[in-house]
Amino acid sequence: MNVVVCVKQIPDPAAPPSLDPGTNNLIRAGKLILDDSDAYGVEMALQLVDKAGEGEVTLVSMTPNGETSGLRTALAMGAAKAILISDDSLAGTDALGTAKVLAAAIKRAEPDLILAATESTDGYTGTTPVQIAEILGLPSVTFAKKVEIDGGSLKVERQTEAGYDEVESPLPALVTVTAGVVEPRYPSFKGIMAAKSKPVETLTIADLGIDAGQVGAIGARQEITDVSASEERASGEIVVDEGDAHQRVIQFLEQLKVL
Amino acid sequence: MFEWSEEQLMVRDTIRRFIEAEVVPHIDELEHGDLPPYDIIRKLYATFGMDQMARDRFKIQLDRKRDGDAAESPVERAERQGDGGAAAMTLIPIVELCHYCPGIVTAMGVSVGLAAGTIMKQGTPAQMERWGLDLLTMDKVGAWAITEPDSGSDALGGMKSTARRDGDEYILNGNKTFITNGPYADTIVFYAKLDDGSDTPIRDRKVLTFVLDRGMPGLDQSEPFRKMGLHSSPTGELFLSDVRVGKDHLLGETEDEKKGSGRDSAKGNFVTERAGVAAMSLGLIEECLKLSVAYARDRMLWGQRIGDRQLIQLKLAKMEIARLNVQNLVFRHIELSAAGKSLTLAEASAMKLYSAQAASEVAMEAVQLFGGNGYMAEFRVEQLARDAKVFQIYAGTDEIQVTHIAKDLLNR
Repeated sequence: MNVVVCVKQIPDPAAPPSLDPGTNNLIRAGKLILDDSDAYGVEMALQLVDKAGEGEVTLVSMTPNGETSGLRTALAMGAAKAILISDDSLAGTDALGTAKVLAAAIKRAEPDLILAATESTDGYTGTTPVQIAEILGLPSVTFAKKVEIDGGSLKVERQTEAGYDEVESPLPALVTVTAGVVEPRYPSFKGIMAAKSKPVETLTIADLGIDAGQVGAIGARQEITDVSASEERASGEIVVDEGDAHQRVIQFLEQLKVL
Repeated sequence: MFEWSEEQLMVRDTIRRFIEAEVVPHIDELEHGDLPPYDIIRKLYATFGMDQMARDRFKIQLDRKRDGDAAESPVERAERQGDGGAAAMTLIPIVELCHYCPGIVTAMGVSVGLAAGTIMKQGTPAQMERWGLDLLTMDKVGAWAITEPDSGSDALGGMKSTARRDGDEYILNGNKTFITNGPYADTIVFYAKLDDGSDTPIRDRKVLTFVLDRGMPGLDQSEPFRKMGLHSSPTGELFLSDVRVGKDHLLGETEDEKKGSGRDSAKGNFVTERAGVAAMSLGLIEECLKLSVAYARDRMLWGQRIGDRQLIQLKLAKMEIARLNVQNLVFRHIELSAAGKSLTLAEASAMKLYSAQAASEVAMEAVQLFGGNGYMAEFRVEQLARDAKVFQIYAGTDEIQVTHIAKDLLNR
């Protein structure tokens, strides 16, 4: 059972983010970390491979600056190796361009299953995984809260607004997992020490046979035309108790329809 | 080494996440209640594979002991070749835990470092298997019982606990106090003077080391003491009244005082223990500084943040100086270990003396900086101040460190 997990390395959300004033793109210079939302896919993949008793987990990621810090975290959790597509021409790539690059890299790994998060924490388009599946001609199942492999087929509980759907699919397939699917493990000390010697294959887009015109800002079909600050949250209502506070609290809760 | 490496930072950040998820929600129960720390320590061990690492290390040590200590021990090899940075991997969790609960480090260090360490060093292969492994993995809790009510710093000379031969067995009597993990220990390393009926003055008698099991007839383990701080580390007394043990409980199964046994074994832990206290001080100082800087930024008085006042700035500056100095000492110890060198007794003692005093001063100044809030448990610095005080007392008091520094310098 070979599983590829698409992982994204993003600027640390704990530090204040900054946007390039020219392109409105997030500035990704410096150290990047593993997107928290990808830790669930990594953990799911590790559990599935462990249960299958054979195979390995391969990470696939893309970044303009050759950064591997985030990948090392996932390797420390237990992934066997990583493929990193790093190329100056990737700066400004949109979701579809990213999907083309990742799909080409995933093809090389010949996985039985591809896992991804439902969306990244820095971009939130949530479109790349299904585009990858489409490019590779594979079925895609989104919003999985439970993933099982039964022989050659995939069984997924797919989160919906009302509950969940039970979905079956042949393999290979692509699945996006929610944060509820599994609890990501902490990397062990041994894992952290082993991570630095695990292979990270760094490829350019030329290695993948992709034309530079299809990626980066040149190939992008999406453009961020404007960025504006989100509305500040309105301040709360302060109730001064003049003997009727309890009634006003009840009224407030009734307005919210929680009573 | 002037900063943590990428790999070390990954360990630090991972440990931090664990502490925030598993320790911080229980701080009130650990520090103001009676929650023993052992389940949290076991979870720490299981989460980071420390239990498996301990099992692997145990096997190497056991094989070596069976070979009659012929092969070079991992410790000896590390001393010759360097430890490849392993000291940092031990010290980083210590630093990080001391941001919140120094007591957890104490409970863990005594069980794994002192109790298991002594058994692994002095014990026979059978004794190592019987008691050592479970302590190294934290499946069982260990205590290391040397201090007595009438002998603290003079623990070996002033020891009154006795071991009297009775056929093939020994009868043990005595009281031990200030015993970390004493109330909960499953396995106790117990030091006693051999009473062979001769005229040898008690101060000069052989010191023997025994291993005791919880529940042995005649062995009483007290309830935890009420104490100033370090509440997450349970401390108690042990009372031995005619505890009868076979020779299989005598470490090494011999009364011969070999190198590394009895008195030597108690002293052999000095450097490791003192470097550990420096790392503990670093974590505590880092936390006090972080909390103090945040408070100095946020707290407004007379329409101005208190951080703009020079008297507050002086406190922050002194805390930063202490942090830098202690961090440099810890980094130096890590670098020396990686190079296959170790601190001299004077250096280890100086490091401990300085770090412990710095931690106490920083924590008390943090309380002062917070004013009335600093005296309240909610703001946490009062706990760190109470905890820091013990750094100047255990693992050799400040006063003992002074004598060790001087003795080492004068006797060279």
